[in-house]
Amino acid sequence: MTTTLAGGRAARRQTMRRIRPRRSPATLLLLAVWAGAVGVLWMWWHNTPSIADQNGKILNAGRITGLLAGYLMALVVLQMARVPALERRVGSDRVARWHAMSGRYTLCLVFAHVFLIMWGYALQAGKTLSDIVQQTIDSVNQLPDMGKAAIGTGLFLLIGLSSIGAVRRRLPYDLWYHVHLLTYAAVFFTFWHQITTGNDFALTPIAKTVWYGLYGSVTALVVWYRILTPIRLNMRHRMRVEAVIEETPGIVSVLIGGRKLHRMGAEAGQFFRWRFLAPGMRFSSHPYSLSAAPRPNMLRITVKAIGDHSARLRELRPGTKVWAEGPYGALTSQRRTRGKVLLVAGGVGITPMRALFETLPGAAGDITLLYRANTTQDLALWDELAKIADERGARLMYAVNSPDGERPDISAESLRRKMPDIDNHDVFMCGPPGFAQSVYEALRGAGVPARRIHHESFEM
Amino acid sequence: MKKSHPIRRVLLASAATVSGIVLLLSLKPATDSTSASAQGAAAQGAAAAQESPQGGAAAAGTSTVTGAVAQTQYGVVQVRLTVANGKITKAEAIQAPKGGTSDQKTALSVPKLNQEVVATQSADITSVTGATYTSGGYKQSLQSAIDKMKAAGANTASPSQSSAAGSGQAAQAKTVTGDVVTTEYGPVQVRITVAGGKITKADAVQAPSGGTSDQKTALSIPKLNQEAVAAGNANIDSVSGASYTSGGYKKSLQSALDKAGG
Repeated sequence: MTTTLAGGRAARRQTMRRIRPRRSPATLLLLAVWAGAVGVLWMWWHNTPSIADQNGKILNAGRITGLLAGYLMALVVLQMARVPALERRVGSDRVARWHAMSGRYTLCLVFAHVFLIMWGYALQAGKTLSDIVQQTIDSVNQLPDMGKAAIGTGLFLLIGLSSIGAVRRRLPYDLWYHVHLLTYAAVFFTFWHQITTGNDFALTPIAKTVWYGLYGSVTALVVWYRILTPIRLNMRHRMRVEAVIEETPGIVSVLIGGRKLHRMGAEAGQFFRWRFLAPGMRFSSHPYSLSAAPRPNMLRITVKAIGDHSARLRELRPGTKVWAEGPYGALTSQRRTRGKVLLVAGGVGITPMRALFETLPGAAGDITLLYRANTTQDLALWDELAKIADERGARLMYAVNSPDGERPDISAESLRRKMPDIDNHDVFMCGPPGFAQSVYEALRGAGVPARRIHHESFEM
Repeated sequence: MKKSHPIRRVLLASAATVSGIVLLLSLKPATDSTSASAQGAAAQGAAAAQESPQGGAAAAGTSTVTGAVAQTQYGVVQVRLTVANGKITKAEAIQAPKGGTSDQKTALSVPKLNQEVVATQSADITSVTGATYTSGGYKQSLQSAIDKMKAAGANTASPSQSSAAGSGQAAQAKTVTGDVVTTEYGPVQVRITVAGGKITKADAVQAPSGGTSDQKTALSIPKLNQEAVAAGNANIDSVSGASYTSGGYKKSLQSALDKAGG
């Protein structure tokens, strides 16, 4: 059975909007981050008149790595604070990649810091590198807040190990996620020794104030956007499962009812993190894109049953309470710079494309959707796509494997043949990583500039 | 979509970080260029200290010395010592953490600490288990009280001993103040009392202060003083965690010994 959820006032209103590209604030943010790092290094420079010997060099290398780690730690947490400017303007996928990258880097700095400082202290005490373990135990026992710092570092080690690719793939997602949440505890535990034993903070009250300010504002943002904002959202909209519909074998749509859902500010192409309050599902939340523009009393997600969680969606009972966080994601009409748009969907990647296909402003012939699936049976939501295409005068194309299993030809040449003006399009794309990569290369070959290929990938 | 090889990214990040840190470290001079002015100021301070009138507590009489207030996580600690003939006869905490479980901990720890001070005559006492913060604060305040006590004692001791030397005693006692040595965290200056060619007493008239330096000074100077008296020369061990202060101490001590010898 399939649903048809086309038309609607909200969707029509969105199609009337003018094209107003908004630049991603990513460059500015990155500049600010670098400026902050330079500021931290300057503080060290200012507070260190001279370095006498080899031992001093080791200790100061430890101080630099420690200061940078303390600075980046706050930013790593900030990246996961679900700040709208990051989630909706930069893009959740990009921010998540920044988080993974800077998180790994910061952990390396933390471990380098511990090693260098303890090595330096051991040398100071007239011992050698081999006494580093004993030196660490002594320092943890003697110096203020070092016990806490040791606990925090231990947690960081655990978090770091659980996030190594090979380990993470073997862990259940929920376990990994909850281990990852320990980051907050680890940051809390390691914060205090920075203030009490860090030379720069102990000696300069201004630096101490700045540090409290940095960590204080990150804490405030986390509390506001990760805790209070979702509570307010869910208190206001009170969402519940209305129905679960099997679109094609293995792909289900979940219809979610609630109050004033059009007031959530969600746009086509965005997603929410969903938590279904049903047995076995309430402890994990998963990101699923809206597969239709939000209606005042209805949202819809469409999900392919790949993992445990998505397979269980099929058994959801109507009336199940839903806890949602969002909207997140920057793959929206804000990215658009051109009148003409090509949407490319691979498999269940159709969901955000379907919502954009319905709502992207454009005259007849401006919008094209290319839908790739294994077989015509796998073309989920096809009926409503056809209806939208019909109403809007948009083009709808599909590419499926031939009966003998041969893949369809999506290359620079075939794209140019189908769409001679393809280099004058904005391209929005969603699909599995391999598919996205090959289409990206084909598009670039067909003359579409990289800045006009908009893609969201949650691959790290 | 631009794929950059993860290994290459890791290598690049590591190389950039390591070379950045090495560059920063190598740009720092080995000695402090501002030390000249600091040294001048320090020398003046030292001279002033030597010339100061000897109106401190009488060495033979009984006096009380109150240490600095030490801030701990659970409240302030302040120690008062009663000193008679250069010996601590009584130690008490005039301020200690109160409220909640702190009352118990204070009741448990402070009497023990007081006893230990009288027994050891130094700040080198062991912390009471379960009351580490209070013990730490107690030690900090105690150290400052002991420093004050010694300063007062030294001021009165030196003239009397030099007058004793004038009266022709075999054991000539004199105090010699070493050069000011500037370390990364501040100047260090050592004063020794020499009698019969032996160091009978060593103390630091200047030592790094402020921030963590206070802790480090409190931790290291008493040990160094003891070591100097025990060793009788400048060949003493550095204190772990305070190598700069130790290094400065040794240099100043050596210069004091040189002066005493010449």
